[in-house]
Amino acid sequence: MRVGKIITAACTMLLAGLMLFGCGGEEQKSAETKKADTTPIQVGGLVDMSGPTSSVGVPYAQGLKAGVQYVNANGGIDGRMIEFNLQDTAYNVQQGLSLYKKMVNAGAVCIQGYGSAVTEALVRNLAKDKVPDLSASYSAHLTDPKTAPYNFFVAADYSTQARAAIKYFKDNWTEARAPKIAFIYPDHPYGLAPIKGAKAYAEELGFEIVGDANVSLKAIDATTELLPLKDLAPDFCWIGGTTPSTSVILKSAKNIGMETTFFTNIWGSDENLPKLAGEDANGAFSNQAAAVYGQDVPGMKAIMELTNNEPQMTHFTRGFVSVLVMTEGLKRAAAKGGITGESLKDALETLRDFDPMGLAPAISYFPDDHRPNMAVFLYTIKDGKLTFVKEQILERRADWLGH
Amino acid sequence: MQGKCGLFFTSYQGEARIFQSGFQKIMIGLLVAGLLAAPFGLGSYLVSIMNLIFIAVIGAVSLNLLTGVCGQISLGHGAFIGVGAFAAGQCTLHGVPFPLAILTGGLITAMVGMVFGVPSLRLKGIYLAIATLAAQLVLEYTFLHGGELTGGSNGLLLNPPEILGFAFDSETRMYYLLFVFACLSLLMVSNIMRSKYGRAFVSIRDFYLSAEIVGVNLFWYKIIAFGVSSFLAGVAGGLWGHYTGYISGEQFNIGLSITYLAMVVIGGLGSVIGSVFGAVFLTLLPEVLNVLANGLSGWFPAINQVVGAIQHGVFGLVLILFLIYEPEGLAHRWRLIKAYWKLYPFAH
Repeated sequence: MRVGKIITAACTMLLAGLMLFGCGGEEQKSAETKKADTTPIQVGGLVDMSGPTSSVGVPYAQGLKAGVQYVNANGGIDGRMIEFNLQDTAYNVQQGLSLYKKMVNAGAVCIQGYGSAVTEALVRNLAKDKVPDLSASYSAHLTDPKTAPYNFFVAADYSTQARAAIKYFKDNWTEARAPKIAFIYPDHPYGLAPIKGAKAYAEELGFEIVGDANVSLKAIDATTELLPLKDLAPDFCWIGGTTPSTSVILKSAKNIGMETTFFTNIWGSDENLPKLAGEDANGAFSNQAAAVYGQDVPGMKAIMELTNNEPQMTHFTRGFVSVLVMTEGLKRAAAKGGITGESLKDALETLRDFDPMGLAPAISYFPDDHRPNMAVFLYTIKDGKLTFVKEQILERRADWLGH
Repeated sequence: MQGKCGLFFTSYQGEARIFQSGFQKIMIGLLVAGLLAAPFGLGSYLVSIMNLIFIAVIGAVSLNLLTGVCGQISLGHGAFIGVGAFAAGQCTLHGVPFPLAILTGGLITAMVGMVFGVPSLRLKGIYLAIATLAAQLVLEYTFLHGGELTGGSNGLLLNPPEILGFAFDSETRMYYLLFVFACLSLLMVSNIMRSKYGRAFVSIRDFYLSAEIVGVNLFWYKIIAFGVSSFLAGVAGGLWGHYTGYISGEQFNIGLSITYLAMVVIGGLGSVIGSVFGAVFLTLLPEVLNVLANGLSGWFPAINQVVGAIQHGVFGLVLILFLIYEPEGLAHRWRLIKAYWKLYPFAH
């Protein structure tokens, strides 16, 4: 009975709390801030820090925080500081949606987003509220302003990344026969996103597409899926997974003696891959959109100072770059008259070859094309380390927009 | 039937009324009036939370009809909600008026639900749970590979609902639309429970053999339970899709099914009011945790970043505590509170 009373008391407190919470009345509604205002600029952060993709979400979020710290330490936006409200979405759409509403009500002029599920669920809300979202969900369909006018990101989309790697391999192909390519990906929206575009481009360049394999993001072995591919003897294999699933694929491939050049997309390789796959990771290529820790680029000094020379993952750098790009947009918006979500969007669309201190390929957005660039950093794993190979740049083809 | 002191019935119809006393009617009237006036006093954030609650109420009451009233466990409810979202979404994308689209979405989901309900004749308990889990997986695969029908990995973008040229494009407008649908769903399920079908469902839940002996056609009634429950799930899905403006297969995963099952268990199996309590409780849980985390962030600056992790833990803990100490859910607690005031000050 005592427990019953405790439950009754808890329910009453919940109800009372809700009523008090509700009595707060109308919250600050406008996302606008006045010119020459010295109040902080509100920016929301919606990152999965405890859900299924938190292993990369956490370093990404730390990169965002470091970026804000860096900008504020260097005078903010004309003396106005960025107030960053970072929250955990746990990769849950409902949670993301309600946190987003709260942030917009509190006056956020921009969101630093992360996961596909939440980013995509917010597309219509962002357009309605006129709040830009710089997220880490790089699906190509988010680059078309006709369907996602307030969505931006700082890395080439998944399809462009795959195309860039395919172009690199074709340019370096020396044999007389057509190169053979296969695709390994999870049966998941993220895994499927670039496949159609990548295959079409591979065919266009004269590759022979020999097969596909589905390997789950949660796979602990991929031998069954890879054996049929081994018989088809592809020269190149695209892996569209995450670091753990990539390591499983690389290890299984080694076990069955599969001879091929693997290349992975942006979430498929990072500093953890050599730790997970050991020597089996050597020789694999990966697409990256940001420099690795310690790389000789101008912006790395700032990151190393902020992190006390404590090595960080490449996802950290990408989060940092996302804040630099947002800051440039905010500065341009402020110079034009005032910071609102709408003016930030307009300002971002004026970026032309903006250099985020060498930490990522130069970024441009256009009013009718939100692809940040057509460039990808290609790395290969040598002796357990991500080693820079080339910045592969593609032409900005109109027919690739959104695909 | 437990009635109030001094309340007498002179007809069976009178006894079967939803609202039996004048006091009940006044209280319900006040509640409805309060809810109708609420958007004027609440900020748009709180209105958006109320909107999520209304959708959750429809989903929870539909599952409660199937699991709580008829005893047919379902682990595929999240996917059924997804079927409704895609079906209604496709309808409005093809120019079908919104109310008709929601209705069509519900009917298509009902058909899908009835197909997946067929094994319920042979399967019970954990076996049926696994069969409905299979439905969840099959439907998730279909969402992802549905081509133009589901938008594949890109999902579908939907416009806000529009009825006779009036667009429900703000939180407050959606509030009233969702409120109407939530009330209609609650009334529908309450009425079903008072009907021949409702009694048949309860008899199947309590002991299927006795039900069959007294002439209840098990297969027919179980299929009807799956159909009606899925219809309402489809309605909830259609509303969710048009509320958020974007749907993808990722949203209707097994986690959503589990959440709805938890709403029903926490609220109270077989109780309409319990479904409401469960939906309110589980929708507010993360919000209350966020408020608490914000309050504590002065002392623990990093707490905002672990709220999601805490939420999972609290969700599990709450579920366990309810199963141990309050297996009949919040509806039971509500009955005890009512009984306390009815008997006050003479508790015994």
